[in-house]
Amino acid sequence: MTLAAYLIVAAAVFCCGLYGVLTRRNAIGMLIGVELMANAGNINLIAFSRFLGQVDGQVFTLFAIALTVAEVVVGLALVLLLYRSRKNIDVVQASEMKG
Amino acid sequence: MMLEYVAFGIISTAIVGSAIGAVTSRNLVHSVLFLASTLLSTAVLYVHLESALIAGIQVILYTGGVITLMLFGILLTDDTHAVTRQNRSTGHLAGGIGALAMFGFIIASIHQSALPSLPQTFDINAKSIGFAFLTKHLLAFEALSLLLLAALVGAVVLARRSDP
Amino acid sequence: MSTSLLILLTLFTPVGAALTLGLLPNFRRAGRPAEYLSVAAAFVSLIAATVLFIRQQLVSDATPLLDTHIRWLSHNGKSLVEVGATIDGISAPMLLVVALVAFCVQLYSMGYLAGESGDARGRYFTYQSLFIFAMEAMVVAPNAFQVFMGWELVGMCSYLLIGHYYQKPSAARASLKAFWVTKFADMGLLFGLLVLFTVGGSFGWDSTTVTSLGSSGATAVAALFLLAVVGKSAQFPLHIWLPDAMEGPTPVSALLHAATMVAAGVYLIVRTYPIFAAAPDVLTVMAYLGAFTAFFAACVAMVQTDIKKLLAYSTCSQLGYMVAALGTGSLMGGYFHLSTHACFKALLFLAAGSFIHAVHSNEMENMGGLWAKMKLSAILFIIGSLALAGLPGLSGFFSKEVILEELSHSGHALPFVACMLTAGMTAFYMTKACLLAIFGPPSEGARHAHESPKTMLLPMGILAALSLVAGFGGTMLAQMYGVEYAFHFGTTGIIATALGFAGIGLALFAYLPSRRANNPFGALTSVGSFIRYGAVDRTAAFAYRNGLCKIGAAIGWFDRYVVDGVMNLTGWLPLVAAQRLRRIQTGVVTDYVYGVIVGLIVLIAMGTVFK
Repeated sequence: MTLAAYLIVAAAVFCCGLYGVLTRRNAIGMLIGVELMANAGNINLIAFSRFLGQVDGQVFTLFAIALTVAEVVVGLALVLLLYRSRKNIDVVQASEMKG
Repeated sequence: MMLEYVAFGIISTAIVGSAIGAVTSRNLVHSVLFLASTLLSTAVLYVHLESALIAGIQVILYTGGVITLMLFGILLTDDTHAVTRQNRSTGHLAGGIGALAMFGFIIASIHQSALPSLPQTFDINAKSIGFAFLTKHLLAFEALSLLLLAALVGAVVLARRSDP
Repeated sequence: MSTSLLILLTLFTPVGAALTLGLLPNFRRAGRPAEYLSVAAAFVSLIAATVLFIRQQLVSDATPLLDTHIRWLSHNGKSLVEVGATIDGISAPMLLVVALVAFCVQLYSMGYLAGESGDARGRYFTYQSLFIFAMEAMVVAPNAFQVFMGWELVGMCSYLLIGHYYQKPSAARASLKAFWVTKFADMGLLFGLLVLFTVGGSFGWDSTTVTSLGSSGATAVAALFLLAVVGKSAQFPLHIWLPDAMEGPTPVSALLHAATMVAAGVYLIVRTYPIFAAAPDVLTVMAYLGAFTAFFAACVAMVQTDIKKLLAYSTCSQLGYMVAALGTGSLMGGYFHLSTHACFKALLFLAAGSFIHAVHSNEMENMGGLWAKMKLSAILFIIGSLALAGLPGLSGFFSKEVILEELSHSGHALPFVACMLTAGMTAFYMTKACLLAIFGPPSEGARHAHESPKTMLLPMGILAALSLVAGFGGTMLAQMYGVEYAFHFGTTGIIATALGFAGIGLALFAYLPSRRANNPFGALTSVGSFIRYGAVDRTAAFAYRNGLCKIGAAIGWFDRYVVDGVMNLTGWLPLVAAQRLRRIQTGVVTDYVYGVIVGLIVLIAMGTVFK
């Protein structure tokens, strides 16, 4: 298998995640999209690590996974906060920051 | 050789398919389960890329931690009716165009790049990763521990009831 | 006692008194104790200054007795400015003059102001003490920067003291006028300092600085300094503040506006003479300007009816002599005349103050017949007048003779003639003042007049004694200045003396009590009143209203509509732009993600294109 094949799979996952972020009105749905995009990045890192024969890619992946988990924790806390103040988690309705 | 292609095809189809399911399903719980499927398939892809340690961590952390967290999040924020019906999406056309444009550009840049071919020898294992963690990337490792602590405290502070 | 301790005593007893009075209001308002403190401080200062003078006099050549600096504003081990004290042949005599006249005036003021409230007296003596310090600090300054500080401080004291009777609108106006006119001239000193420092490299006037200034630099500095001198020493056309300054109490006029502060300008030239010597063009201007001022002010003085204004114009005239003498390069002429003039002009003012104190009026016609009541004051006034008129043997004769002699050799014919004529006119107007004020027809005020107290007579006596004998100190002073001087009574002197006697005779002819009925100068009354009501003053006011104010208005318009307009435009544009641009902030997360995508695509495209 060539590296390009892995990268294309990663790109496809990334764009699925992007589509999710762009179309979902539900905050948790949006968070799922973000997770997919982060996962796509991890695939890239592992693939490059394998093809370049370097350990750094795998180390970075571990860092990225830890960061993503932290992000999910904080993100879900924010979603809870949003729900508590508005009784729903629709991000389109939560547009008080409109200029 | 043929077997490898077949295996890759199955894995990648599983990854992309469940990813599409995750972003299109109307049921939020289904979306989360599709996400779990994507992450598990990705773990299989990691095994295919001879990175067993990362695959293991992927399964434990993501599938064990993140998915559970998300399900709890859904449980705490929406009622059953909302979970099954109100996972609405808007702007399918614009979102599709944006995502496809992105995809096109990424493919174009992959196409333009000179990519390395598969090396003959590969000897990265848990030992070498651990060694890299505690030598070359020690500072980042420690900073990450601090970040996790901050995320922990931050999540508690944010999610706590403001008037206990 | 060491020299540095003496200079500290000289300088810091007066300022100590001023600070004590300034910080202890109750003590100051008590009046009498404040007077004692201030006079005691002036006395200590005088004693210390006298000892310094004698010690410097004993130094045979012109080397400084004391030259001490402390660094101020040091930077990189190099000091930007130094403050300190220099006692040499130039500063020691001036220091003595200042301390002496100041002490006499302080003593005199105790009697003169006896009728005022304790508050007013306390304030007066506080400012006087501060003035003494400022003037002495300026005199002993080791560099032009300290001169500047002292210069500004005496200007401020002058403002405060002219406005002593601040409830009187005319006094308040006069103090403001003096302040603004001298402040305008002080710009010259400030800019002169800047040029001196940037081109010359230091605030000093030593040969190194003058050399690095070069010819044009020295001319610029000297010309700028001359502007300051014209303001401070009341030279034409900036003399307009001095007659108005007579609104202050008479002792103030004696100390500040006759003997010391107005002489500060002349002293500045003397002190920084190395710079002026390198600028011959400026010296020529000085010779002409000084002579013109001497002549012009003498003309105006002849028609005054107010005794203090007469003396004020006389001061202008005598300062003109000094400036003219320095313009010919005669340090001896200018500086010697400064010292003698300080004695007899202070005496004249104090004696005039004694008259005013007795009759409560400045007009000479209200003083007629004082001879019968105030013989001592009258005699002292006559001594001062004769010294000013240049009667042979008195101090004014010697110093004026030096000036005229120098002018006759200088090659400037016009200044010489003007100064010779002025000598005659000076004698005329002083004789006129004596005849009108002392021997005139007995007036209402003079009937109730009585002799002044001893505290007023004693200082006048000291100054009169000095006016009589100071002329004989010329050789000693010349040795201290480091210049050649030998008294020489030549043709010039004879003619000047003859002119002086002619002036006295003419005045006797016109104003003797027996001849007053048919005054031969009656025809000139209209010319006299025109001059008296301030032709120059009006010109200056006209120029101020029509020139300066119009320019100010134009600049104001430019500032309001052009500068402010640009400012307002630059403020208005972002405001409008922000109003339009705020619409891109929709508040919906998705829209921001679209923004990120567009940015990312642009970045990738740029990376592809500009590879």
